[in-house]
Amino acid sequence: MNLFSLQWKETFRAPQWEAKLSIKIIMALVMIYFLGAFVFGASMAYPILYEKVLDREPVEVYNGVLLYIFFFELVLRFFLQQLPVTNIQALILLPFKKRKIINHVLLRSIFSGFNTNPLIIYLPFAISMYRADYLGSQVVAWWFALVLVTLCLNFLIYIVNKNNVYFVLLLAVIVGTIALDVYTQIDLGHITGALFDAVVAQPQKAGLFIFPLLLSYALVFYFLKRGFYMDAGLSKKKAAVRTGDYSFLNFLGEDAMFLKNDLRMIIRNVRPRQIVLMSFLFLFYGLIFFTQDIYRNQDFVMVFAGLFVTGGFSLTFGNYVPAWDSSYYKLLMTQNISYKKYLLSKWNLMVFVTAISTVLSLPYLYFGWEVMGIILAGSFFNMGLNTWTTLFGGLLNKTPMKLNVKAKAFENTQSFSLNQFLLIIPKMVLPVFLYWFPAKFLGPTAGYFSLAGAGILGIIFKHQIANRITALYLKQKHETIEAFNK
Amino acid sequence: MIQLNNLSKKYEETIVLNVEDLSVNTGEHFGLVGNNGAGKTTLFSLLLDLIQATSGTVLINEIEVAKSEAWKKEVAAFVDDKFLIDYLTPEEYFAFIAQLRHVDKPKLKDFLQQFEDFFNGEILDQKKYLRDFSKGNQKKVGLAASFIGDPSIVVLDEPFANLDPSSQIRLKSFLASDLNKDKTLLISSHDLNHVTDVCERIVLLEKGKVIKDTPKSPATLKELEAYFSGQ
Repeated sequence: MNLFSLQWKETFRAPQWEAKLSIKIIMALVMIYFLGAFVFGASMAYPILYEKVLDREPVEVYNGVLLYIFFFELVLRFFLQQLPVTNIQALILLPFKKRKIINHVLLRSIFSGFNTNPLIIYLPFAISMYRADYLGSQVVAWWFALVLVTLCLNFLIYIVNKNNVYFVLLLAVIVGTIALDVYTQIDLGHITGALFDAVVAQPQKAGLFIFPLLLSYALVFYFLKRGFYMDAGLSKKKAAVRTGDYSFLNFLGEDAMFLKNDLRMIIRNVRPRQIVLMSFLFLFYGLIFFTQDIYRNQDFVMVFAGLFVTGGFSLTFGNYVPAWDSSYYKLLMTQNISYKKYLLSKWNLMVFVTAISTVLSLPYLYFGWEVMGIILAGSFFNMGLNTWTTLFGGLLNKTPMKLNVKAKAFENTQSFSLNQFLLIIPKMVLPVFLYWFPAKFLGPTAGYFSLAGAGILGIIFKHQIANRITALYLKQKHETIEAFNK
Repeated sequence: MIQLNNLSKKYEETIVLNVEDLSVNTGEHFGLVGNNGAGKTTLFSLLLDLIQATSGTVLINEIEVAKSEAWKKEVAAFVDDKFLIDYLTPEEYFAFIAQLRHVDKPKLKDFLQQFEDFFNGEILDQKKYLRDFSKGNQKKVGLAASFIGDPSIVVLDEPFANLDPSSQIRLKSFLASDLNKDKTLLISSHDLNHVTDVCERIVLLEKGKVIKDTPKSPATLKELEAYFSGQ
């Protein structure tokens, strides 16, 4: 009871709790939207399967893909779920029994947002089942089994997160399953599906799922108990130093020193690594749109897609300038640094990575010259203008960043504000017009040149733009220092 | 020369600092003492333009800190761990500061040599990031770094806190050494003994006001001790 009251205070006295109400409301609306989308999707699954798959029962088909849902969930959890482990350090010396603390931590983890899965994804399907004449007992048993599996995953991810051996094991299982499915006749999804089919056939079998749950709980319990000392499992791991002097960058002169630091920051901290990895995925964004003929004739979709392919890094990274440096912002503000130089070095990094993304996007040539044209023009626009717009947006973002802590679900959007939302207009809407107008009257080539030309102007006038943004930075200096100091 | 004119800082209705007129001469070793909440850190933060003054100005060598950035060339500071870049190794951190201060590699190496005793073999070549060092060792890195490039004014907030006794003594002898004779040092502490060992002028703050401003002498030491013991 005691421990829960501590938990309560921790939650409600946290500084984020007092964050701006408006942002909270927007966040809530976004969450409700996503929740609604998921629930809607999940409740449509049954009728769609019923119509499209004629030779098998919808439940059977659904059960067959459950394994992949579990894998997807594990991957999401691995990247996003923050384990509450470190909070117990303070309690170690107090007269709580170890068992009690570990049990508390594990029980607490059940209330994580990640465990609402059964409610969002499985429950709507269960309701569909009930309406399709399955017995109440069958439906409840099926759902109950999935709840147990979700909890099981919840505990397993602890070990996977803390122990590299288990991590590799999980990776091997996922890759192995997919490989077996693709290259052989063995479909493990089918086999897991059969287990759930069995539950539907004989509801009492759901009880059997308690065993993997108990097993996973016991596994984590002993894993934590063994490491229950300040220096072992509970403290954050001290990473081996990744050295690298990046002296090859020295030809850049003074800019190199900030660039080196940024590279080190990205390589050595969890949060920036996470964001950079995600921005890499933007490269594949085009595959969704350029492959579909219906989008090929819609200019705005093409421009969006073209911008996203090369803009992933600059659009995400720039949003957190200067928040990346929030933990030593006071140093930067008192040291012998010109703000403009600092800003230009961030800009250089963004341009550099956009250029690399452009090279990596060359395979899109496969879809023809007009696709490549829009990507190249978009890349120039990203380098010359979107970099600056994003840097300006970053200035409005005053949420300090904990570099070496994983982002919680939705945390990346926490610092999102109305102003940043409005910046979508110059970032996304403006380029559509820049392309569309000339393209309409003079043909697509004129559109490419117009889009690319706007970007090149941004590159030519970089000093003037940098001066303007620097002035804004200096104006907000004290406000930013105070915000980052929290 | 540092001049504070009618400097005040208010949060809501609480006045946390109100200094009418205070100047620190070039080369002076200036000690700021006072209990928690007396306004020491606020004063230093205003001096470094980290917070905005409610009224008044700070001039460093005739430059108003809130208006221009030119004073930064002369000043170095270590106020708290927000002055450390925690994902760097100490070597990388020193190199970063040295580059900002236009100190080349061989000079930096010579410079760091004088801290050999102070570092006690626990700072350099550790293959660890700053975030993995103990608080005390982090502090040593920050303190040493603030002297890189020979700044003429060094501001240190509570430099002795978190240091072990041997390091405190070594730090004191470094601060009082000939190397720093011509530097303007501003040091705050709530430990009277440390400050009086290093500084020649002591200013006592209470609730944001200067209530004593004296050159160090055995007599003032007694007075200050009496103040802190509540008599």
